[in-house]
Amino acid sequence: MDRAAAALGLFPGQKAADALAYVPNLVTAEAEPEADAQALLALVDWCVRFSPAVAPNPPDGLFLDVTGLAHLWGGEAALVADFRRRLARNDLPVVCGVADTPGAAWALARHGDGASLCPPGRQGEVLDHLPPSALRISEAACAQLERLGLRRIGEVRRLPRSQLARRFGLELITRLDQAMGEAPEALAFRRPANPWFDRLALAEPISSPDDLARVCGDIVERLCARLTAEGQGARRFEIAYHRVDGRPQTVEVGLAVGAREAARITRLFLPRLDQVDPGFGVEQVTLAAFEVEALSARQTALTSEPAAAGGGEIAPLVDRLANRLGAERVWTSQVVESHVPERAVARRAPLSPEPPARWDPARPRPIRLFRRPEPIEATAPVPDDPPVQFRWRGQLHRVRLAEGPERIAEEWWKAPIGAVSSTHVRDYYRVEDQAGGRFWIFRSGLYAAGAPAKWWLHGLFP
Amino acid sequence: MAGFRSGRLDAVRAKIAALETGGREESESLSFGDPTVDRCFPGGRGLPLHRWHELGGEGMEAETAAAPAAFAALLARPLLKAGPAVWIARRDDLHPPGLAGLGFPSGGLIEVWVRDEAQALAAAEDALGASGVGAVIVEAQACDLTAGRRLQLACEKGQATGFLIARRPFGGGAAGMAGGSAAATRWSIASAPSQPAAGRPGLGPPRWRATLERCRGGRPGAWLFESPGAYSDTEIQDDAHPLRLVADLGDRQLAPAQPARPADPPVPFPVGGEDAARRRRA
Repeated sequence: MDRAAAALGLFPGQKAADALAYVPNLVTAEAEPEADAQALLALVDWCVRFSPAVAPNPPDGLFLDVTGLAHLWGGEAALVADFRRRLARNDLPVVCGVADTPGAAWALARHGDGASLCPPGRQGEVLDHLPPSALRISEAACAQLERLGLRRIGEVRRLPRSQLARRFGLELITRLDQAMGEAPEALAFRRPANPWFDRLALAEPISSPDDLARVCGDIVERLCARLTAEGQGARRFEIAYHRVDGRPQTVEVGLAVGAREAARITRLFLPRLDQVDPGFGVEQVTLAAFEVEALSARQTALTSEPAAAGGGEIAPLVDRLANRLGAERVWTSQVVESHVPERAVARRAPLSPEPPARWDPARPRPIRLFRRPEPIEATAPVPDDPPVQFRWRGQLHRVRLAEGPERIAEEWWKAPIGAVSSTHVRDYYRVEDQAGGRFWIFRSGLYAAGAPAKWWLHGLFP
Repeated sequence: MAGFRSGRLDAVRAKIAALETGGREESESLSFGDPTVDRCFPGGRGLPLHRWHELGGEGMEAETAAAPAAFAALLARPLLKAGPAVWIARRDDLHPPGLAGLGFPSGGLIEVWVRDEAQALAAAEDALGASGVGAVIVEAQACDLTAGRRLQLACEKGQATGFLIARRPFGGGAAGMAGGSAAATRWSIASAPSQPAAGRPGLGPPRWRATLERCRGGRPGAWLFESPGAYSDTEIQDDAHPLRLVADLGDRQLAPAQPARPADPPVPFPVGGEDAARRRRA
């Protein structure tokens, strides 16, 4: 049924003979519910371009979870406009609504009047003007509400809840609460199936730490056997303990390079299993592998000799440390082409490919760089000269040798032009005191007669 | 008679050495390229490898540990051919461009930032026990005998060499250099005034006053080292040892400079006398 047919007064569910009698030149086609469902799923898959969480709502609808991603399109209105434009280009007539709850969005899309956006938290006001059929309730309930003269949801909401439940069943109450956001609603999002997944159903719920560890070992071994058979390795594993009360407890480990050695992966999991709260027992365990990539079979060792350079146990070591301390606490430094010393270093994951750039050896840099430069009291009688002495942490240092200045200005091209100032210029000196201590100090700003120069200590040379 | 005595002493010494190396015939070592330094170490062959070494500083250096860190990096630099280095610290003020200036390749350095002392030692033990690691440098406040023994066992298992930089937390108690230690050597490192080349302005190559306070199976010493290639754009040769001996400070200069420690009265070090050194060790 298309828009033209609706305009002629036809409606779904009408007998074909009646419709033909009414409109003699009607073109009819056989209904194909399976094909419709397939097309809906195809549309759902296409909608992943908008949001990773899309749930089909048969026979002719879908839910798109746009929480936290409307800003990518510049607001919900722009997102809806883009969505409509793309579907219109494919000749798909579409109605849509955006609201806090799936129920309210459904009602807006099917019964709203063009204003398809519901402001956050205001679904009550918007829905009050819509007919009760916008609540996704059965036709019988709908008809009965109509018979009682309840034409608007607002009128229904004003009635006592207990009477509503008694007269129309729990469905009406549930749907009403779901639309208002007072009851939870679970959507069955369509997600691509992960082929690297295994499940272990247990005959009896388990809860002791030993059992959890044993089950972890078992399931890792099963999945790793499959990975080995197909020549794959994974960089991330997630184990989920499903409790009897339905709350899964997940533990995740990451690896620096793909792996499929069951014993090693189990060892990474074991110290973290104490996070798992088994509650009244765990009845099911699932394990999923992510970032699966081809991994050629490798001979681990021919003799007992330690492994050759570059290989060895570096990757397992990095994995152990990263999983124990946190991935952000294990890194390798790499060059950033920036003159500002604190920006010249970036962190990358260990064992990731190394960029070819290197730090300029002609610019000496300290071995210890303070995150915040420390203020020092310096005595510099001649402008633009290094100080003759300075006091740092209560200790007086007499400068014996000095080198510099190396003038480092801020990266003005990264700041708005109004914020660029000559006071952000730093003149760095490398100085050595009488005892041999070597320091990296700088004067901030250009020399100005009358104004005392500010000196800072930024790092220590060996 | 004298021959008989020295023969027995040699046999006992060999037995002790065998016990200390865990039954292995010969342990590798890294020569300093200078016999005056090397002869202080067991066998006269230089810094023993597959052990761990303790380095500390005095005064402000006990907190900032810039000089010991640089010295450890230079000692470890030749070991990077065997594999990457792991640097474990509680504070993240290590600046890799500074290490690169000392000729330490940043690509071969894995930095680990731990939360507390126990994690630092545990991570060091883990890293030392993994094969394929060239060197492990850990900044920690102290290492008691048990932890030190664990580090030593890990060194023997993984064939890596460890460097423990004794570093006091800011505003914390004394650094843990006193007391017994399972380290193969214990060093005190201080910056020394540099000597720029004649006619060149600015600072010369960095220099350190390195005091070997304790050495298992060797004897103490004190030297002035320089890193000739540091902070210059000349290519640093790989085969030469990164440290060059400038002067043998001997013991006369050091004895008065040594601060009195309660556990270790400031006995002047013997001047090269084997017997005296032996008596002192006993």
